[in-house]
Amino acid sequence: MLRIYQRLWQVNWAEQWQYRANLLMYLFYWLVSPVVYLAVWTAIARANGSVGGLTVNDFITYYMTLLIVDQLTSEITIHILAYKIQDGTLSGDLIKPIHPVLTNILVNNLAFKALAFLALIPIWGVLWLLFQPDYSAVSLQNILLVLPAIALGFALSFLFGAALTCVAFWTTRVYSLGEFYWALVLLFSGQFVPLQLMPSLIEQVATYLPFGMAKYVPIQIILGRMSAPEILRAYAVGVVWLVIATLLFNWVWREGVKKFSAVGA
Amino acid sequence: MPPETILVEQLSKTYQVPEREGGFAAAVRGFFVRKYKDVLAVQKVSFSIQPGEIVGFLGPNGAGKTTTLKMLSGLLNPTGGTAQVLGFTPWKLEPAYLHSMTLVMGQRNRLSWDIPAADSFLLNQAIYRLPDDEYKATLKELDELLELGPLLKKPVRNLSLGERMKCEIAAGLLHRPKVLFLDEPTIGLDITGQVRIREFLREYNRRSGATILLTSHYMADVTALCERIIIIHHGQLKYDGGINDLSRKIAPFKLIGVTLAGADSHDLGLYGLPVENEEDADKHYIQVPAVEVTNVTARMLTELPVHDITITDPPIESVIERAFNE
Repeated sequence: MLRIYQRLWQVNWAEQWQYRANLLMYLFYWLVSPVVYLAVWTAIARANGSVGGLTVNDFITYYMTLLIVDQLTSEITIHILAYKIQDGTLSGDLIKPIHPVLTNILVNNLAFKALAFLALIPIWGVLWLLFQPDYSAVSLQNILLVLPAIALGFALSFLFGAALTCVAFWTTRVYSLGEFYWALVLLFSGQFVPLQLMPSLIEQVATYLPFGMAKYVPIQIILGRMSAPEILRAYAVGVVWLVIATLLFNWVWREGVKKFSAVGA
Repeated sequence: MPPETILVEQLSKTYQVPEREGGFAAAVRGFFVRKYKDVLAVQKVSFSIQPGEIVGFLGPNGAGKTTTLKMLSGLLNPTGGTAQVLGFTPWKLEPAYLHSMTLVMGQRNRLSWDIPAADSFLLNQAIYRLPDDEYKATLKELDELLELGPLLKKPVRNLSLGERMKCEIAAGLLHRPKVLFLDEPTIGLDITGQVRIREFLREYNRRSGATILLTSHYMADVTALCERIIIIHHGQLKYDGGINDLSRKIAPFKLIGVTLAGADSHDLGLYGLPVENEEDADKHYIQVPAVEVTNVTARMLTELPVHDITITDPPIESVIERAFNE
């Protein structure tokens, strides 16, 4: 099995390099909104001294950490899998004796992520020079604590993203549903603004949802803004959602493939 | 395990296809109330294939060939009947079954578009868990038979259609499947390409004893490879038997195509049954019983201002279409 993943990595890595210009464009597109938020919020905080208790440096470190965390936990499954379901090319994958999503599509996500991350490093360096963040609150302990959170955040994003894409087995087109899902993610993950600035109802609801694990929770852990009980609680919520996501994905996939093989493609 | 490699009994597949009239009003109505029509793609088809046989699976477009192949390879669930391939029920998609069969469709599916085929092959080696020595031996053999050589190092998207097909077939055979389902393996290839694929399949079958079920539009594919053919039309089995009997039974005629000097004032109906041929509009075609071809040709050459004349087998599609519609 290890060998399968190793070969899949070679293939997908080579493929991603073929589309490096495309990937760079995607990266720029994806960078626009966090960088705009970063600029806007620091400007406001600078004028007022602080916003909701957050200082200029708090905003800078939040968004600059977001750039890294988001890159590590995000997923692009809908872009890889949806068209294969629509045009039927998934057939070719189904007659291979491996699970297409948990092997090839997973590795495709990882290869994309790795290459995008390489491209992000110099951009992040430039932002560092521009905004001069003070990262003195980050400790090795925080870094160690956040690694499982990032893995969990990616696992959740990947499974939910894959389950959502599987809706294409019934509806053929799934992108509008994907947009709706993205709106939820933006609202509840802390991508727009740090969740503590949201109305307290949204902040409260968000702590029970899986989306924070992909962004807000890891950022707060890295920056040392979460207490031990809060971290523990966030992990507990994340693990419960991981179980739910796994069951959901397995079920949707199984039923979807059944549907696929009933109607043909 | 039954002695037959493939055993199909009463296999049926009915699709439900949404249907609506053209036009805006119908589109709006269709948004709220969907009408479905049952399409009987395959109806109670039964046949069995012995180990090592090469069987041609024929029928016009929409006859149900691909649907049957998809059911036998496990991609489609039937709506009725049973099928056993190597003792497995295909649509359960058991890994042991997937390891022992291959489905090659005219479209790209086993090769990654952006990387050289060699890389995809290595991936297949891992997926099918092939030991290094076994993989190398198979690849060497395939290389020898298909002359893959330099093709393997080029990105697949830079290959020509024929080159890609060769690589697709090789990718589908690396795991030495016992059963091959080939959907139009020579589609779009030039004559040399077709001949090479045919020779390869015959040789592969001889060496490995694999069972092959193939569909094709080219009569030559079938006559060169298959002693036995199965014909389906409108989803029903119409013929199952030797190929020689078939040509005697339903294709005892040839097509004569002529280019004439001057205007279209000649009545070709005097020589045979005029037929349309959209692919070659410059020529006029007539259909003539096979036994009369020599006579008719001789007469035409003496009586008409013939610029060019060809004698061909009628396309398999029209043969079957005609034989079963009459």
